Amino acid sequence: MSDTVLLHELVVAVTLPLNNNDVVDFYRTNQFATLDNITSRLNGLSLIKRGAYALEPQVNGFSGGQLNVTIDGMRMFGACTDKMDPITSYIEPTNLKNITVKQGTGSSNTGCNIGGAVDMTLMEPVVDSAQAQIASIAFGYESISRSKNLLLTLGLGNEKWSWLLDGVYRKNENYRVGNNQEVKFSQFEKTNIHSAIMFRPNKQNSFKADFLMDAGFNVGYPALPMDVSLARATLFALEYQHKAKTQLKAKLYFNEVVHIMDDSKRDSLYFLENPPVGKSDSVYMRMDMPGKSSTLGAYAQLIVPWNEKNKFTLKVDNYTNNSVAEMTMHMRYAGFAPEKPMYMQTWPAMLRNVTGLFVENNTYLNNKLTLTLNGRLDFNIDHLQSEYGQQQFSVFNYELEKTQTKLVKSLNVSGQYRFDTHFSMLASTGYAERMPTIGELFGFYLFNAYDGYDYIGNPYLKAEKSNFFRLDLQYSHSKLKANLNQSLSFIGDYIMGATNPNIQAMNFYTNGTRVYTNVLTARLYSADLQILYSPLKSLSVFVLSKLTLGEINKNTPMPLISPLKNIVAIQYEKNSWELQAECESALAQNRINVTYGERVTPAYAVLNVKSAYRFSLSKVAFNAGLGITNLLNNVYYEHLDWGRIKRPGRSVELYLKMSY
Amino acid sequence: MKSILSKILALIITISIFSSCDEEAVTPVNPLAGLTKLSEGYALGASAKVQVWGVKAFFVGYNKLTVVVLDSINPTDTIKDAHIQFMPVMTMPQTTGMPMVHACPVENPAETAVNGVFPGVVAFVMPSMGGSWKLSTMIHNHKNDKEGTASFDIVVASASPAVMSVFTATTADASKLVLSLVEPASPKVGMNDIEFTLHRKANMMSWPADSTYTIEITPEMPSMGHGSPNNVNPTHTGNGHYKGKVNFTMTGEWKVNVLVKKDGTPVSNNASFTITF
Repeated sequence: MSDTVLLHELVVAVTLPLNNNDVVDFYRTNQFATLDNITSRLNGLSLIKRGAYALEPQVNGFSGGQLNVTIDGMRMFGACTDKMDPITSYIEPTNLKNITVKQGTGSSNTGCNIGGAVDMTLMEPVVDSAQAQIASIAFGYESISRSKNLLLTLGLGNEKWSWLLDGVYRKNENYRVGNNQEVKFSQFEKTNIHSAIMFRPNKQNSFKADFLMDAGFNVGYPALPMDVSLARATLFALEYQHKAKTQLKAKLYFNEVVHIMDDSKRDSLYFLENPPVGKSDSVYMRMDMPGKSSTLGAYAQLIVPWNEKNKFTLKVDNYTNNSVAEMTMHMRYAGFAPEKPMYMQTWPAMLRNVTGLFVENNTYLNNKLTLTLNGRLDFNIDHLQSEYGQQQFSVFNYELEKTQTKLVKSLNVSGQYRFDTHFSMLASTGYAERMPTIGELFGFYLFNAYDGYDYIGNPYLKAEKSNFFRLDLQYSHSKLKANLNQSLSFIGDYIMGATNPNIQAMNFYTNGTRVYTNVLTARLYSADLQILYSPLKSLSVFVLSKLTLGEINKNTPMPLISPLKNIVAIQYEKNSWELQAECESALAQNRINVTYGERVTPAYAVLNVKSAYRFSLSKVAFNAGLGITNLLNNVYYEHLDWGRIKRPGRSVELYLKMSY
Repeated sequence: MKSILSKILALIITISIFSSCDEEAVTPVNPLAGLTKLSEGYALGASAKVQVWGVKAFFVGYNKLTVVVLDSINPTDTIKDAHIQFMPVMTMPQTTGMPMVHACPVENPAETAVNGVFPGVVAFVMPSMGGSWKLSTMIHNHKNDKEGTASFDIVVASASPAVMSVFTATTADASKLVLSLVEPASPKVGMNDIEFTLHRKANMMSWPADSTYTIEITPEMPSMGHGSPNNVNPTHTGNGHYKGKVNFTMTGEWKVNVLVKKDGTPVSNNASFTITF
């Protein structure tokens, strides 16, 4: 049910069934892969795209508040009301030791959720006298966006102390699609730096401190009417671990996300009737939307193998998130003084405090059968910090209490049965609830560029619920590994926007206003097939097929659901050479939700080729790569790409990595 | 045992009575806080000195005025029991013949002072441009049972944005109506009280309050092309006052369109008030 991907040094036991480790290993040829490149090839994961930057993860059709996305169990929340900064956008593969994708309600270790969990573990300094110093530097270039990339990793350590520094600098210009058309506002620039220091007085105990800062500048969002001049996350964490028969892990953390968004780079000139003179005239308009979110939290997890057959996990956690987002519109008719600025709080200043308790027991009944039972309770306190936020909602006749509380829960059971050494089956079922997000509860005119509606929060929303069923069939052999996973979720009180014709559109961009409501039922079905076949030592073939079907109220297609997507890749590895060809394709998506602004997405297929060569000069190891993505220069887009912005055309990628 | 309990109970009751008394402590109110003295003079015959205070200088619209009546011999002695009548008069010189003279709607103060002063209203219907305004304040001093009038030559300025609409109803009787915006005085984002007064010109000197109309409001933000939901149309609450609710979803320049109806038929054209905050 869970897949942990080690992004760097991989240790994969032969008996393990095919998992995302193999996938990442398979795709390791390009050191420059962004997190988005890698995660899009993991099973169950899809990405919602609004530009060349900050793709939003989706697990089996679930996204946003339905998922838990964490950094080593730490909660962090984007500061953009329009979901333009999922926290995966603030992390680089260079920062990560591994990424874990868990599907379904059972993934409640980091918080109650109904869709799944994505956890990213930060790189750790190496505490090993044999590998006291590490250093690597790498350069990369992509022709389609003139993308320049620089990666750096440094490490120092002795038996007790160790230190690590890793970072990335990227600069992309606008990319071009297959017909050579430029996609304006697809540029970005970012700097990322992560440093960690670890003290390990003995084999059992370790202390670690992490610092991470990721800042994107001048980030364009072609599918949206706005761009981001600054998207910055800063993270501090302290950790204590005790590794013995009983394991303890405790963490204290603070992070802050600042997101500055405006439309100053866009053509904000409209022709409208000019009220002062009563005729059509040009109007200048500008919109500023800054947002800020900070989270302070702590957790402690204890794992006790209380007898030979049982392992018990207890985790308590608490976090406080502080969010505020504002919108100010400036309007000016040609020849007139600017009007008084129009101001509102799209997220009124909010404080959310969540206390969670997670328990899990794993029982190894015998060689064939393992049972897992877990449950979680999250007690949620939402506190409106300003009277302004309360007043603002009086417009909708909402009388808001300053403080509101809610309890959400999750209970799951799963069993793994091993028929023989090759074939096993994992069946899981569970029930979970999830808290509505701050935007869903208290959002005030949040613009959704997909359907062109402004969304308004609903403080009376009930928790979204899911009854979850999953069956994984796994086959593992030295030459062939295959997985077939199926998930089915029956969702109750599904949260989505319903058009309210009584609330007028807020500005010229929008089609109208939608208010978040609980829809009675929704269903999601997902199936993944993964095959890794290695007939020869030097040759392997990888196949991934992902299918998701979703519907609301038994007949309406759920919006933003990918059609059947396939990846077929073949890899040849000999001596120091590695060659890889990949075909990525998707069927047309005809099951669309017109009300949500969806249109039919045509089928596509693209070809990618990559090669890599490893060599060393004295003590320095080199890894050089050359690849071409979208070899046939096709013009295409995926169904989850907002605004049907076309994907990059043929691009030549080069990289060179030097390690010491 | 029982007696101890009853003693404790009695004690608790006593404490709670005393503590609730504390909460009702009255703090003295300064009725003139935030106001400016606009006019001052003697009401000859009533042995009184009259002061007129207002939030700001006289303007076209609903002017909340506070009258302070002092004993003319002993100005530290405030008169708290008097009958006060506003008599505003506009004199417009005509090129031929007699000058035209008219009054405007008023709300006279009650006979008993509130916190020692007399709050009332004069709704000036035009600025001192085509003529000159004189505000006469008639005092019947109940202390000495004498009457007198203090007259002030005043200047009434146009209000920008306008807070009054004077129009001729599109009904057969062609009534001249005065619609004044009273609230919101300090608009904010969210739900606001909105209040109008409606007066009808009976003749040049008499402008009584009228409760026979209905009022509908439609707020809009002209530069954004949108309105706001859940507004409540004002309804008559007495003395020509109509009270309702208006919602503003953001700061900026709002326009509240007002439709005045008589027996369900619109009688006003394009009346609107701009509210900017």
